[in-house]
Amino acid sequence: MKQAKKRYWKGLEELRNDSEFVKHADKEFPEYLPMEEQSGGGSNSRRDFLKMMGFGISAATLAACEAPIRKAIPYVVKPVDVDPSIPNYYASTFIDGGDYCSIVVKTREGRPIKIAGNTRSAVTYGATSAQVQASVLSLYDKQRLQGPLMNGEPTSWEQLDADVKKKLSRGGNMALVSYTILSPTTQNAIDELLAAYPGMKHIQYDPVSADGMLAANEASFGKAALPTYNFEKADVVVSFGADFLGTWIAPTTYSSQFVKTRKPTEANPTMSRHYQFESALSLTGANADYRSQIKPSQDGAAVAQLYNLIASKVGGSRVNAPDAGEVKFLEKAANDLLKARGKSLVVSGSNDPAVQGMINAINNLLGNYGKTLDIDNPAYYRKGNDRAMEQVVSQITEGQLKGIIFYNCNPIYDFYQGEELGQALSNTDIAVSTSDRLDETAALSTHVAPDHHFLESWNDAMPRRGQLSLMQPTITPIFNTRQAQSTFLTWADSPETDYYTYLRNSWRDAIFITQGDAINFDIFWDQALYEGILEALPRPLNQGEDSSENSSAASFVGNVNSFASSISKNYSGSNEGLELVLYQKVGIGTGRQANNPWLQELPDPISKACWDNYVAIPQRMAREFGLKMREGKTKKARVTVGERSVVLPVLVQPGQAPGTISVALGYGRTKAGKVADEVGQNAYPLATKVNGYTAYYNTDVQLELLDEEYRIAQTQTHQTYMGRETVIQDALLSEYKEDPKAGRYEFKVESHDGPKDPSDISLWKGHRYPNHHWVMAIDLNSCIGCGACVVSCQAENNIPVVGRQEVINRREMHWLRIDRYYSSDEEQVEDPDYNKLEIASDNPEVTFLPMMCQQCNNAPCETVCPVAATTHSSEGLNQMTYNRCVGTRYCANNCPYKVRRFNWFKYHDNQQFSDVNVAMNDDLGKMVLNPDVTVRARGVMEKCTFCVQRIQAGKLEAKKQRRPLVDGDIKSACDDACPVDCMVFGDLNDPNSRVSQLINQEKEGRAYHVLHEIGVSPNIWYMTKIRNKDAEEEINA
Amino acid sequence: MTAGNKFLVGVFDDDDVLLKAVTKVRESGIRIHECYTPFPVHGLGDALGYKRSKLPIAAFMFGMLGTSLALLMQFYMMDIDWPMIIGGKNYSSIPTFFPVTFELTVLLSALGMVGVFMIISDLRPYGKAKVFDLRATDDKFIMAIDLAKNSISIDEIKQTLEGAGAIEVNEKRGQ
Amino acid sequence: MEVTSAVRKPLVTGGKTVHDVTVDVCRRVEEKPTITWFLAVAASLGLLTVGFYAVFRTLWDGIGMWGLNKTIGWAWDITNFVWWVGIGHAGTLISAILLLFRQRWRMSINRAAEAMTIFAVISAAMFPVLHMGRPWLGAYWNLPLPNTFGSLWVNFNSPLLWDVFAISTYFTVSLVFWYIGLIPDFATIRDRAQGIISRTVYGALSFGWNGSARTWERYEAVALILAGLCTPLVLSVHTIVSFDFATSVIPGWHTTIFPPYFVAGAIFSGFAMVLTLMLITRKVYKLEDYITINHIEMMNIIIIVTGSVVGVAYITELFMAWYSGVEYEQYAFLNRATGPYWWAYWTMMTCNVISPQLFWIKKIRTSIVATFILSIIVNIGMWFERFVIIVTSLHRDYLPSSWAMFQPTIYDLGVYIFTIGLFFTFFFMFAKFFPVINMAEVKSIIKATSEKAPVVQETGTTTLPEEEMAPTASKN
Repeated sequence: MKQAKKRYWKGLEELRNDSEFVKHADKEFPEYLPMEEQSGGGSNSRRDFLKMMGFGISAATLAACEAPIRKAIPYVVKPVDVDPSIPNYYASTFIDGGDYCSIVVKTREGRPIKIAGNTRSAVTYGATSAQVQASVLSLYDKQRLQGPLMNGEPTSWEQLDADVKKKLSRGGNMALVSYTILSPTTQNAIDELLAAYPGMKHIQYDPVSADGMLAANEASFGKAALPTYNFEKADVVVSFGADFLGTWIAPTTYSSQFVKTRKPTEANPTMSRHYQFESALSLTGANADYRSQIKPSQDGAAVAQLYNLIASKVGGSRVNAPDAGEVKFLEKAANDLLKARGKSLVVSGSNDPAVQGMINAINNLLGNYGKTLDIDNPAYYRKGNDRAMEQVVSQITEGQLKGIIFYNCNPIYDFYQGEELGQALSNTDIAVSTSDRLDETAALSTHVAPDHHFLESWNDAMPRRGQLSLMQPTITPIFNTRQAQSTFLTWADSPETDYYTYLRNSWRDAIFITQGDAINFDIFWDQALYEGILEALPRPLNQGEDSSENSSAASFVGNVNSFASSISKNYSGSNEGLELVLYQKVGIGTGRQANNPWLQELPDPISKACWDNYVAIPQRMAREFGLKMREGKTKKARVTVGERSVVLPVLVQPGQAPGTISVALGYGRTKAGKVADEVGQNAYPLATKVNGYTAYYNTDVQLELLDEEYRIAQTQTHQTYMGRETVIQDALLSEYKEDPKAGRYEFKVESHDGPKDPSDISLWKGHRYPNHHWVMAIDLNSCIGCGACVVSCQAENNIPVVGRQEVINRREMHWLRIDRYYSSDEEQVEDPDYNKLEIASDNPEVTFLPMMCQQCNNAPCETVCPVAATTHSSEGLNQMTYNRCVGTRYCANNCPYKVRRFNWFKYHDNQQFSDVNVAMNDDLGKMVLNPDVTVRARGVMEKCTFCVQRIQAGKLEAKKQRRPLVDGDIKSACDDACPVDCMVFGDLNDPNSRVSQLINQEKEGRAYHVLHEIGVSPNIWYMTKIRNKDAEEEINA
Repeated sequence: MTAGNKFLVGVFDDDDVLLKAVTKVRESGIRIHECYTPFPVHGLGDALGYKRSKLPIAAFMFGMLGTSLALLMQFYMMDIDWPMIIGGKNYSSIPTFFPVTFELTVLLSALGMVGVFMIISDLRPYGKAKVFDLRATDDKFIMAIDLAKNSISIDEIKQTLEGAGAIEVNEKRGQ
Repeated sequence: MEVTSAVRKPLVTGGKTVHDVTVDVCRRVEEKPTITWFLAVAASLGLLTVGFYAVFRTLWDGIGMWGLNKTIGWAWDITNFVWWVGIGHAGTLISAILLLFRQRWRMSINRAAEAMTIFAVISAAMFPVLHMGRPWLGAYWNLPLPNTFGSLWVNFNSPLLWDVFAISTYFTVSLVFWYIGLIPDFATIRDRAQGIISRTVYGALSFGWNGSARTWERYEAVALILAGLCTPLVLSVHTIVSFDFATSVIPGWHTTIFPPYFVAGAIFSGFAMVLTLMLITRKVYKLEDYITINHIEMMNIIIIVTGSVVGVAYITELFMAWYSGVEYEQYAFLNRATGPYWWAYWTMMTCNVISPQLFWIKKIRTSIVATFILSIIVNIGMWFERFVIIVTSLHRDYLPSSWAMFQPTIYDLGVYIFTIGLFFTFFFMFAKFFPVINMAEVKSIIKATSEKAPVVQETGTTTLPEEEMAPTASKN
């Protein structure tokens, strides 16, 4: 069988690659066998042959019988806090550059295996994102460096420190480059380093920069920081290309806020209205009530126009804005904004200070400051300064920089001048990288001092003024790495080089003293660690803007006209040329975690494509090309920007604004590791500058369709829902207000006594579930399709990753998928033209439908299994007995929801998949597996189990505490991860459970079953999708 | 057949002739041991005065056995021994039991009957064939008469056989 | 006195005597195999070996070697299965039903037809085993045996389990039926045998048969009852196979018309395959006098009938889809005819509905070449029928998000080839070492029907023979 020899992790020695161990590792027996040298001597005597044959045979015989773990090391002295099979949970913090999430880490036997949101956090509200969920796998990435490197050679920390210090102490201009630093204490450490080496500057940049926004806020309020947004307070949200639900700055926070306003109930049938003006169909655009397609070149002009529309109404002074051309819904948006002054919010994804300034002006006119957004309590997610970074690049190229330190950043890949930087890096005496892997930058650096993974590190963070959180290690460092902060302190010859102590000290000095009530620092510290978060304002540290300035309400001092004039320089409604938009994918983002197979295989929420980036072109353009995508089959195209050009496959994207194409950032890594290398093309170099700031679009590109066939791996290739009302049921808010059942499709069966509901007609009396009855309710209105649940499910249930080719073969294994349906121009009449129904609108309405096993009470899959491998539990669960399954696949065929997944190959310990399915193929990756869930064998069917292992654990816990289960004890992994709380899991038999109350309340309202009419009576309810639109634009806004 | 006895073996080359001969010989009070033909000769059995075979009854009994076994098995496995909720159906959902019941009925009925047939007519692998004349499986029709069981003289029987159209009449020892 | 209707063409031509029958049939067994036979066997063994590689890879690496996916869990595997089972219907049908109807023209073809049945069913049985993810377990977990850890039995709700019973019963009973018929002929060969080996072997096979009147009496009773049992059985087998689909919830599968429709299709394809093989055997073994144009014509007539039944079934399906008003049903059939797999649908239509109608023309009906070609076309058509039912129903069912296409791999093809090789290897072995014609039965009708019989007169009519008169006429 294609598979690596079965290897087990023989204790820490092997893990640590202990040299002593490695020497003996390959020997079958510790003692010495004379064979090698004799055979080495060339002459194998007959006796040797017999000996070896004898040994071979016996060895083969032994190997044949599947042995359990060969070396199980029992605890001699058991660690207090580690009980085998009992999980421990630690509050910690996910920090990736400026991205922040407060989390709770689940560990088993000292291994972090799952991440959940920290519900105590006032910043992220317990929400997580796909990237956060997947980050636990990055910890076990085999591509991580196992120790410090000097000039490419492994070395010891002592030698490295010595050499680095020597070189740094030569003085001269030096730079320490990093992404945004969220941690005050880390900042201190860096400052100590800077102090130790005068001439060293600290430069922060962000792969996707909000530099312009900082500048705008500087200009408008004198504060170079991001405002804190309160989407939950906004009745009208207008966004100009800001993908705040998917990738813009702090999407987890924003989406969980935003969705709070999107849950209409019969009692309170109201919801916010959301306008999106954008070019590429983003996750946010997909969830907008009104989506208007504009070109990037129109953007600023449109914003200015909106300003004028509002100004003219509120008596503000109009500015002379360029004509934005025809922008749909702009006036409508203006009117709605005016109706909701102080309860509205306008945001923009632009990095142009003029545009952002104009946005500030609008929000100011509407009196939103202090209400829906707050600049007085700023957020620090982005501090990057592109111009400073460009300076570094130019200095290096001119050879002015003696040394440079890259603190966990990878500018050669993700800074748009990376190429120049890379070529010039040799001009420096010393280039140090603290990257955890030999990435594009580290590979060219002279020294690499690998940092811990964040799950191995101590740290703190202040994402927002007055909101602190702590990061604590959940596993002993796997490799011989050292926390970068300690490294810096060492180089700075700081009295305290142990970062843990350093952190404690700084908290004692800066924070503890602000806590009047706490007496004992240790108690305070333990409490803070336990909570993971703390609401406090550190005492002034040497970190300028943080807390020094008093939080008096800043007033708008921006000069609108200067904004307007700069806008009219750069924007107009009349650009005929093709325009390129650079965007991030929800999964891969900026490409930091590109080597994470869970993220690579997470389909893009919109295009449902994975393992690639591509040129998304509008349908109209495809029609011109005569290009039709079938099953992901497409052609490649060359995108040319100035002298730079990339060749990428073309993806026809409904909703892509006419005259624009878009390419995702974060792909085309060359040194990230086996998983990510050569996946897609790097689009960072295609960024340009507008008004002196990085612009993630380009208004002058050529697209040349090549005659090269290509297949994009898509998990869904059919775009529309074919007008099938039993699948998607949606209504307008206005209709919903009249009738809570609006949009519901209630199929009735003719019977001898009148029409009947399908579920009332059955041959069988059915079965009652006396104890529990597990069900789930999913609100289609809340679901934004972000995919956090998909990754969470993958992590929780040991779901294999199958890689691009197998996804192309339509064999992805995700138990939980999010179906994405576009609306079609063909309206749903009695007998529609199905061919027309297959074609999505050019600017479609999008509906996301999370789809997993529906746990049908009358499950068609159970009936057809010849060996009774799938049966129903007495708690309403549709159980899958893996070790009974013989793999006839009849159940999958007979599943109307097509949620069953078959193990076509052996996905674990199989070289065929070792590069993609790392969690099941190398000993390190295997540490992430959930011990409570079987790794399925080849030829076996699998599917969503409602996280039965969690259900059992919850019941046991309650039993141990001699109490009945209470609602919330058990949360399925998807429900757990959902940032917008669109899933509610629980016991229908418990009248107090959220889910039973919700279902009882919505039974006569929005709740429906997908495919209700075929009478399988599922245990998952869906709530109709409600769109806050006015009737006239119902079809295809 | 009774080994060792002396037999008169009449060989005919036409089934109709044989049929007539059988009747004739029996009328003349000679007891025929058995006839051997290359293919089933209709009416030969009646002519020899054999009773109708009881095999159909055997077939029926075995069939009934199959039916009851099938039903018992299914009710026991699905409802009594380990009831499981499958597709929301009753533990014993009778409609779905029909196919298997039918199949087992047919199977046991067929096998049972054939088994009985094999036993009563002494057919088994490597079974020794007791033949008077090898041509009996080709194109000749054989009538064997056990002299020990007949009081009539050999010549008389010979004459009757020849008279009845036997192309040759030989004496044979039974195996 | 045997009485036969005056209006009947001779079933055996060339003035054969009873002895000629013995000689003609046994010669095949006794003489040295011909070159053509060796070539044929070599060819089929070749297919077998090539196919075996595909089987091996499937077992070794997993079902992933095939073109299946999350949406289409069955394709070629079950298509081939149903196709083979269908072919496996003709034999038993010919010997059983035609025996009950006393169609004597069956007699010279039923032996080979039954053999074909057995081998077809063996080929078919390959697929339910091979298509499983874990055949090494499924092979016996599908039987009602207690589970190692206690009484976990099988699921009698599952049509697949019904298949297990149906197919195995059908196979066993057909085998018995076939073998009972072989015993007297083995005896004939035994009694002619010169070599010691053949004498022992055929001696063993003939179960010590000596053709005594008493045994013949019982033999006929057994044959009749077996026929009676086989008739409902042969109908039940494809009925139950059709349940695999009919009892499901998938639009295009979930239809009550399937049982009769499948049975008709099975007979249809079965007879086509019988013809294909007959025409070859006849030519190679020079059995023109036993398998006459008359036989071929009879078969062709049955093909017209069943072909038309199948055609009606197709139309009915379309009508029901429209008449039911069920959205999914309607789309399923619209998709069959006009969707991405339209070509499969129309191949099926042409091969199964249109081409057999050519047999209305006597010239074609009685032409060896035309019959041969059409018989193959029909089998192609029937393969596509199953492909259409299985794949085009699955590839677009309820949720458009899961709609997908199926691309076969060489391993799909390979496994199919494997079973074809298996089938023909068996068949050629049979053709050499077994009496390809039921001597005993043919002998019993020689006098009545061979041209020597004085009462027969040539007439051009081709009506099906009327019922034979009761043999009691010979009582006196």
